[in-house]
Amino acid sequence: MPLKVLLIDTDADRARALDDKLSESGFAEIQRASGGPGLAEAVESIKPDLIIIDMALPDRDALEDIRAVSAAHPIVMFAGCDDPAFAEEAIAAGVCSYNLSGVALEDVKPIMASAIALFRRYRRVEEELAAAKALLEERRLIERAKAILMQGRKMTEPEAYRWLQKKAMNENRKLAQVVAEFIEQHDPGIASAHAERK
Amino acid sequence: MSDVIALSARKAAPSRIRIGLLRLTDGAPLIVAHEFGFFADEGLEVELIVEPSWANIADKLAYGFFDAAVIVPPLAFAVQLGLRGTAQPLLIPYTISTGGNTVTIARRLAEEVKDLAARRNLSTVEALAACLRGRGMTLGVVHAYSTHNLLLRYWLATAGIEAGRDVKLAVVPPARAVEALGSGQIAGFCAGAPWGEVAQRAGTGITIATSRDIWQNAPEKALAVRGRWAEGRSELLACALRALLRAAKFCDDPKNASYTAAVLSRRKYLDVDSHAILASLPGGTIADGGCVFFRGAATFPWRSQGLWFLNEMRRWDLIDERVDLRDLTERVYRPDLYRAALTPLGESVPAVDWKAEGAHDMAWTVEAAPAPILLPADRFCDGTVFNPDMVRSPAKAVLETLHKL
Repeated sequence: MPLKVLLIDTDADRARALDDKLSESGFAEIQRASGGPGLAEAVESIKPDLIIIDMALPDRDALEDIRAVSAAHPIVMFAGCDDPAFAEEAIAAGVCSYNLSGVALEDVKPIMASAIALFRRYRRVEEELAAAKALLEERRLIERAKAILMQGRKMTEPEAYRWLQKKAMNENRKLAQVVAEFIEQHDPGIASAHAERK
Repeated sequence: MSDVIALSARKAAPSRIRIGLLRLTDGAPLIVAHEFGFFADEGLEVELIVEPSWANIADKLAYGFFDAAVIVPPLAFAVQLGLRGTAQPLLIPYTISTGGNTVTIARRLAEEVKDLAARRNLSTVEALAACLRGRGMTLGVVHAYSTHNLLLRYWLATAGIEAGRDVKLAVVPPARAVEALGSGQIAGFCAGAPWGEVAQRAGTGITIATSRDIWQNAPEKALAVRGRWAEGRSELLACALRALLRAAKFCDDPKNASYTAAVLSRRKYLDVDSHAILASLPGGTIADGGCVFFRGAATFPWRSQGLWFLNEMRRWDLIDERVDLRDLTERVYRPDLYRAALTPLGESVPAVDWKAEGAHDMAWTVEAAPAPILLPADRFCDGTVFNPDMVRSPAKAVLETLHKL
């Protein structure tokens, strides 16, 4: 009989991808729930063997308090598991699971391995996106700092850029830091908007 | 020149510390120490990681993803004992804040309570008890092993309300509690700042009590450090505590409140309207009910307070009868580490680790070196005095009760 897995993940794409992957294998039957109110009802009506939850959601504390979860077994992932490296891998990927019906570890592991792999892949995409955004933001701020220097100190554009570079070199700091601070001093509106976005 | 010294200090020792915290106002000293360079001034490279759940904090401490975290003390004991998930030895060398929690209930219920209190000349908790009885309502707390759960249970019990029998307590993450209050899923909640204020501003809730109405000088968050990390890193830990104390003084100064609120409100920290945060900072609008970060030895890890939490955990069956609570307190609460870090600064540090909790109606002076410290009143709402000697072991407590008969 396939294991009943309750998947709590607000990233619909990722949830679907994991659903597809696990359904394909045939030993897990996936039900999905979003977090928030109604979680207790979902757990009590579905009676899952295993719960897989995105660690970025605030719902773990509520989940661990649901009687069906806390009474059945030691509540936390891989409790009694002699393989801390596996638990660490899951936490690093940002996903964890609760074993509600004492499913054997060898049955849980392949399911969690799929979840870990997917969460890791999605996280990498997110990080790449964030890095690209940060780079764009840095360029925008450099443009703004150059404009301030060109207007206020009558520098040419290459002079302004060299001035900023030299300042960074003298202070032994990253260009981005120097520029952010420079703008904060000369144009606080933009800098605080920048801080907000971070 | 100072830059050069800081740089070489950084090279000399691996000085990175990863610290976890939640989106709460009482994380202020950590955020301030980080943003204003107080950690850097001590040669530390601190990474603050904001988490969405206490479960994440506990697991990441247990598996070594964090070296330290801002924690509710009952959860630190739970991790130490492995009551939820993997066990991991933790130390509490420093208290981060006192006060700051609110009991916030649905608007209509609050009006009912207020009306009843006025009509029958009842205290707030007596009126609340009368309104709750027999109606099967649910109140939210943030975690089973939280100060909020213990304080709310204590308060309700003084008016004869027992959680589970007269009212249901459910765990609701504070960020969701505001919404749950609005939808009627819960009748109220006890949570840390700024969430009571956020609910008031959203028009869904009214705060009817704060930590102080339950226990006047209630300890709140603590810094929990992994025992294994702290081994051989006493100087690093001392540096972190010094930076935190400096930040605590900054946060405790009403002059800095609006500035602190603005920093905390950033998206990467609380991501909440800065006015809602400002309310419960020292100098904010909840004059006496907010967080305290420094004054009155608020940062000292009193063992008697750790034992009070454990004693309440036992009262509500959250901890096994056989655990030696006093021994557990002494292993986790480490005022010796506090003294070692802060005495060299010339700070006044309490000379004792234990005190009677709840024995003072007014401010009083505690023995400390180099100079005595003025501590605030610390009454419990029911006037009980908690004497730590009564909890030496279950057998002894029974004996002493017998002697009194």
